[in-house]
Amino acid sequence: MLVVDGLEVAYGDLQVVWGISFEVPEDSIVAILGPNGAGKTTTLLALMGLLPVTGGTVTFGADPLLGLPTHKVVERGVVMVPEERATFASLTVEENLELGAFTRRARSAVDETKSEVYEIFPFLAERPTQKAATLSGGERQMLAIGKALMARPRLLILDEPSLGLAPIVVENTFGVISTIREKGVAVLMVEQHVEKTLDLADHAYILEMGRIVVDGPGTRLATDSRVREAYLGL
Amino acid sequence: MSRLILQSAVSGVLVGGMYGLVALGLALAFGVLKVLNVAHGELLMLGGYAAFFAFTLWGLDPIVSIPLVFLGLFLFGVILYFTLFKHVTRLAIGPRIKNSLLLSFGLVLVLQALAVRFFTGDERTISTAYSSEAITIGWLRVPVVRLAGLVVAVVAAFLLEWVLTRTRFGLALRATSEDWTRAALTGVNVGWIYLTAFAISAGLAAVAGSLVGLGYSVSPSIGLGWTLKALIVVVLAGLGSMRGIILAGVFLGLTESLAAVWLGGEYREIAALVLFLLVLSIRPQGFFGRAHA
Amino acid sequence: MPRKWLAVVSGSAVLALAVGIGLGSDNQHLLTIAIQTMLLAALASSWNILGGFAGQISLGHAVFFGLGAQTTRELWLAGLPLAVSVAAALLVTAVFAAVVGVPMLRFRDIYFTIGTLALGVAIFLTVGNVRPRLSSLTVEALRAYDFSGPYFMTLGVLLVTVAVATWLKNSKVGLGMMAVRDDEEAAGSTGINPLSHKMVAFVVSAVLAALAGAAYAYFTASYYPSFPFSVVWTFEAILVAFVGGMGTITGPLIGSVFFVVGRDALPSSIEEFQVVVFGLLFILVVLLLPGGLLEGAQRLIRRGSKQDTRSTSNEGTTKSKGKELV
Repeated sequence: MLVVDGLEVAYGDLQVVWGISFEVPEDSIVAILGPNGAGKTTTLLALMGLLPVTGGTVTFGADPLLGLPTHKVVERGVVMVPEERATFASLTVEENLELGAFTRRARSAVDETKSEVYEIFPFLAERPTQKAATLSGGERQMLAIGKALMARPRLLILDEPSLGLAPIVVENTFGVISTIREKGVAVLMVEQHVEKTLDLADHAYILEMGRIVVDGPGTRLATDSRVREAYLGL
Repeated sequence: MSRLILQSAVSGVLVGGMYGLVALGLALAFGVLKVLNVAHGELLMLGGYAAFFAFTLWGLDPIVSIPLVFLGLFLFGVILYFTLFKHVTRLAIGPRIKNSLLLSFGLVLVLQALAVRFFTGDERTISTAYSSEAITIGWLRVPVVRLAGLVVAVVAAFLLEWVLTRTRFGLALRATSEDWTRAALTGVNVGWIYLTAFAISAGLAAVAGSLVGLGYSVSPSIGLGWTLKALIVVVLAGLGSMRGIILAGVFLGLTESLAAVWLGGEYREIAALVLFLLVLSIRPQGFFGRAHA
Repeated sequence: MPRKWLAVVSGSAVLALAVGIGLGSDNQHLLTIAIQTMLLAALASSWNILGGFAGQISLGHAVFFGLGAQTTRELWLAGLPLAVSVAAALLVTAVFAAVVGVPMLRFRDIYFTIGTLALGVAIFLTVGNVRPRLSSLTVEALRAYDFSGPYFMTLGVLLVTVAVATWLKNSKVGLGMMAVRDDEEAAGSTGINPLSHKMVAFVVSAVLAALAGAAYAYFTASYYPSFPFSVVWTFEAILVAFVGGMGTITGPLIGSVFFVVGRDALPSSIEEFQVVVFGLLFILVVLLLPGGLLEGAQRLIRRGSKQDTRSTSNEGTTKSKGKELV
């Protein structure tokens, strides 16, 4: 569904992503793993139209995605949850969710989507008027994902969803991600929890210094000796 | 003496409403775009002239022409956004504020000079049939044209607050002012939000200009003085609530008027300056809320 | 070494030319242009000490120019000798700047700029209220008026200003100012006191502006007392310093020549649009240097020494998240 071919991204003269290619098929979970500074977040932001791309192509469905402003990318059904639990702190839970359904496509089905989101995250339904700033870290992450789902994504992009969360909440988050896939939404995620992610992902790519060094099905990478050595410390 | 104080307090409250109204637009542009437009007072000045000429050439009452004047400066705001301010919105927040300040500083000079060239340096006041009328309560005089200014300011604040808290557009405005990247990732067309917020800010300045032309006077050089008052009000109130901005405006007007009773009217600006420096000293980081964090 | 000699030789040549014009020419137009250029050069150089050396962008510089002008003028017209009047004006300005500087310099970056703008506007309006009448030289003074007095006074003011700026730039205090400009935190951690360095820059800059104001008060036949306080002076000083090159000694000088000669060369049909033209020029300069006025100038100063890579549309995000992004 999402096909990235030869993507290059640079900050001014500093090239960060060197011609990477990967794809996310329908109904799948794809992970990008790698050390800090490998270019993972840069890749995601470039897909969303937030960074200028210097080379390569990206297609989503049948249409090219590059060059579209961010809100159009969202309108097409590619929705990203940036790291640091990106909710709007000054808005209430309900306002965050309403805002999530901002695109024309999502607006028409807002009530229906909201009840689906409440089903996944029941606690949100209980406190619609609470300000996001007063939620706990884990709750805010759930709200951020819920807000993204309100846009009725076809592809959900998650940037380090477990960053800074307590272990039990991390477990929860991974459970939510597979629930989302079951609802027919493809997921592209960047993560630090390599073992758990490989367990969950249908396919994973390892990014180092802006280049993909190895890729394969999650279960196979989990047994790959190079990956085990470099990322699992085994 | 107490008569003088009370009468001064009334004038202070009335002019304070205008301070608040001018600050509403400044705060809107700053809050949403992180653009500090010190030419806001010049937009007010242009609005004042628009109302003045609508009155003298077409006989349009300045209260009636408010929507027209708003629209006119709204469109001018669109032009200014595309030609100037759009370019600074590409910068990170810090340089964005600094460059917008310098940019609009240049704009102040340009608009002032053009106004002198086309409207002459004369002071103009819109004199309608009701201009000299006043509501009298005992010996207390409340000029209707100035009261109208306060009323419009309060109405504008409530309207703006309603838009911000009750509409989808307002929701997008608030989201954009908190974090434009996140707003874009949520599907908000940030460029469009910037444009409309800036244009509304210009339109609000023009509404204030109409009322200044009616209750006070308009000349090419009035802009910076009003901008100064708006800056002080924003420092006092922060960007949070529109009603808070009007209240802070009234507080500033009251402070100035009462200071003028004791210091003499010539020194009212110094009272405002001292208040400004005082607040800024007490909370130097609190200026404009978390926006510059 | 040869660079230094080049500066000395060309400086002396310009000075000789300036003195020659003053002594030899009775072309009033030429003398007027020269006086205007030197006055603006002095004012821009004084702004440059605070803005260019110490990195504090002030929009209230005209306050000190005006204070120098007004104090000199009032004392002088009251009968005091000119030298005494000027000395008093400089003292008054120094004290005023020190007092105002205490709260003002605690404000960082943009807050300082806004604070100085507020100061400029409030003082301008107040002077207009308190001294609404035109200030004119006496009839005798006007009868005795000739161009060489103002010419050499302005030249002297400019020489003093440039000398102070040059000395400061090469002094330890000046180096401290530039360290504060480049990175206030880092400067603080190496033992430089940012506040006192900014204070020195603020007061010296103000006193030199007052000196230029004194020259203005000496040679201008009549003006409204609020006029020297007008924001136009600040604007011209910044424009000139920036176009010429901020943080340099020659920048404001060269910028003033371009500015005044350019203004004089404008066709008379658009003479009344002068301010508009220069305002637009100023806007253009700000727009074309996206890192900011100061950053842009710094880039020009250390041209080539270091590549700036942070200029993408996403600068906000990259900055806030630091290196993690890459």
